[in-house]
Amino acid sequence: MLFKTMAAAVALSAAFAGSALADTVKLIDVIELSGPGAPAGTNWKNGSDLAAAEINAKGGILGQKIELIHYDSQTNPGATRAAVQRAVDEDAYVVLGPIFSGPISASMQITQRAAVPQIVGGEAAAFTRQGNNYIFRTSLNQADSMPKLANYLRDEVKAKSVAVVWINNDFGKGGRDAMIPELQKRGIQIAADIATESGQADFAADAIKVKNANADAVFVYLNEEESARFLRAARQQGIAKPIIGETTLLGAKVIELAGDAANGVKGHVGLLVDAPKPSFAEFGKKYMDKYGFTSDHNGIKGYTAVYTVKAITERIGKFDREAFAKALHGARIDVAQEPGILIDTKWTATGDVDRESFLVEITNGKPVVKTTLPMINP
Amino acid sequence: MSLKLNTDLLIILIAFPILWFAPAGLKSYGLYVVSLWLVMSIAAMGLNLTLGYAGLTSLAQGAFLGIGAYATAILTVKAGWPLPAAFLVSTGLSFLVGVVLGFPALRVKHHYLAFVTLAFSVVVFLIARNEQWLTGGVFGLANIPRPTLFGTDLGGGLAFYRVVLVVTLALTLVMWWLLHSPWGRAFQAIRENGTRAASLGVDIRAYTLLAFAIGSAFGGAAGALYAPLVEFIDPSPFALSASFVLLLTVVAGGAGSFFGPFVGAFFSYMLPELLRATGGWYLIIYAAVVLVLVMVSPTGLLGLIDRWRDHQSQRKAAAIRAAARPTLANGAETNPKEQGAAS
Repeated sequence: MLFKTMAAAVALSAAFAGSALADTVKLIDVIELSGPGAPAGTNWKNGSDLAAAEINAKGGILGQKIELIHYDSQTNPGATRAAVQRAVDEDAYVVLGPIFSGPISASMQITQRAAVPQIVGGEAAAFTRQGNNYIFRTSLNQADSMPKLANYLRDEVKAKSVAVVWINNDFGKGGRDAMIPELQKRGIQIAADIATESGQADFAADAIKVKNANADAVFVYLNEEESARFLRAARQQGIAKPIIGETTLLGAKVIELAGDAANGVKGHVGLLVDAPKPSFAEFGKKYMDKYGFTSDHNGIKGYTAVYTVKAITERIGKFDREAFAKALHGARIDVAQEPGILIDTKWTATGDVDRESFLVEITNGKPVVKTTLPMINP
Repeated sequence: MSLKLNTDLLIILIAFPILWFAPAGLKSYGLYVVSLWLVMSIAAMGLNLTLGYAGLTSLAQGAFLGIGAYATAILTVKAGWPLPAAFLVSTGLSFLVGVVLGFPALRVKHHYLAFVTLAFSVVVFLIARNEQWLTGGVFGLANIPRPTLFGTDLGGGLAFYRVVLVVTLALTLVMWWLLHSPWGRAFQAIRENGTRAASLGVDIRAYTLLAFAIGSAFGGAAGALYAPLVEFIDPSPFALSASFVLLLTVVAGGAGSFFGPFVGAFFSYMLPELLRATGGWYLIIYAAVVLVLVMVSPTGLLGLIDRWRDHQSQRKAAAIRAAARPTLANGAETNPKEQGAAS
């Protein structure tokens, strides 16, 4: 009974705390602060907080201060749905997050039904292909990244066969399903197709399988922590073939966790603070000063998501969700107009983004950009 | 017995109209959380039957939730069935699978049974994840429809909550009837002393299977409501951790007490949402509350009330004993304090 009373008291205090100030615009961020997505979600949360604080210091959006509220999605579809429902009930102007694709799929119908724009951090291909006019990305669709990577494997690495290591969740499976046909189209053989588990601790067996496959290159598509564990296992097994990956494999967290094992890893990255753009370097420094660690791509996504809200709202000149969603489809925001966007970005009619991206190699524990790839449809 | 029986029924009948009207003012978030509480209460009721009444430690209730949810999702999304039909088939399917899983329960007990059911949970999870042609694999199944009745859309937050409430009422009454029928007594007899129950003519094999199957059917029924509630399912909500949380739900509420599953589900599924107001602390607070509860009252929240009642009656009995104790002094000026010290 005591617990019930306590819970009621907490709920009551929440009700009082929830009454918003009149001259603010409410953004609600539903994000992975616990569960397997916590490292990604924490970066995103910090990035979005940083952006909101900057915008508020300069007078807010159209004279209104941003009130940014974070709800933990627990990296769980059911809990995400509850939190997004709550965000809609609480009259959020725009919903930010989540990052993981399962929670996005479980919650995007709610914002669609309520006609609230939702800016997410997911990379899985499926959710911008369902005709939902209120869902927008902050990063490249994995279906757009894979052709770039496949070209790189064919032209630069000159691989004739590739071992594919992927994580068996919607992110990893989606990436694998997009990558394998792209490789086959280019006449590259799949020497091994290895599924691994989310949260897996020991990758020795997988590394041995990769080694025995004796492919010209290894394509690794795992979440951050798993990437670091795989790289360590791969080095222990003495795999000397090029290890190639996408954004997550070259993230700041992976480099920190994998240490020396990350050196020599190459791949395609959508967003990173070490990109050869002054805006990224400036953001990276601000983030480092405030939080004491290097932001990964999710920090940049959270930061640019808030600036996207600012840029588009100022463009339409009012707080109107429907007009916002309409304006963001097909919009292009350049750094020249809005420095907070960090990199010139275009949104397609489906809510996907198009922008430059980078081919990166990790040298001495630092990601070094080798080539900048152009937009797909500039 | 008959007095207790009437109290349970009375509480059900009083609670129903309150639960029917009280959430009317809630917005969609509140309605979703209250609906989730009822759905999980159904699943916990099933586990309470197997664990609390029949004494079978099962770690498969999350898997049955998944079987019900996937069966409903597949039948409604892929085959276009109406939800009520899918609900009945999902519940029936869970019953049948429960019978099959019940066979090992005849041979092993306690933690060995927990291992068997644990393995079963993992198998169900792997099927849901790997058989993409059927279950959608890791991408899940989306746009699971909510019901309509004679052309009326019951898909709105409040309407669907009331659908869930009516189903919960029906299943609660079934459970109440079951527990007060000879079957319910047979379950308890097996839990307390299997050999004695057998010697009194209880068919242990049949009743153990039944307890397992009916408990599983409740899990399946809950899953059949969970799928349209969330409108999207993927394998993660039915992983092993779901079974652990359901086990915690039953234990926290009070295993073997009739309303334990409702109290426990409030504790497991609503309390974390209510604690959200505390920001980043909410999971820590929740974990601390669980720890304290398990230490203070291993018999669950409703167990606290029972313990308090026992304590009261023991004190009363102690007072009566003290009053009735024969004294040698025979009413002379004996100091009661001295007497206490001597005895």
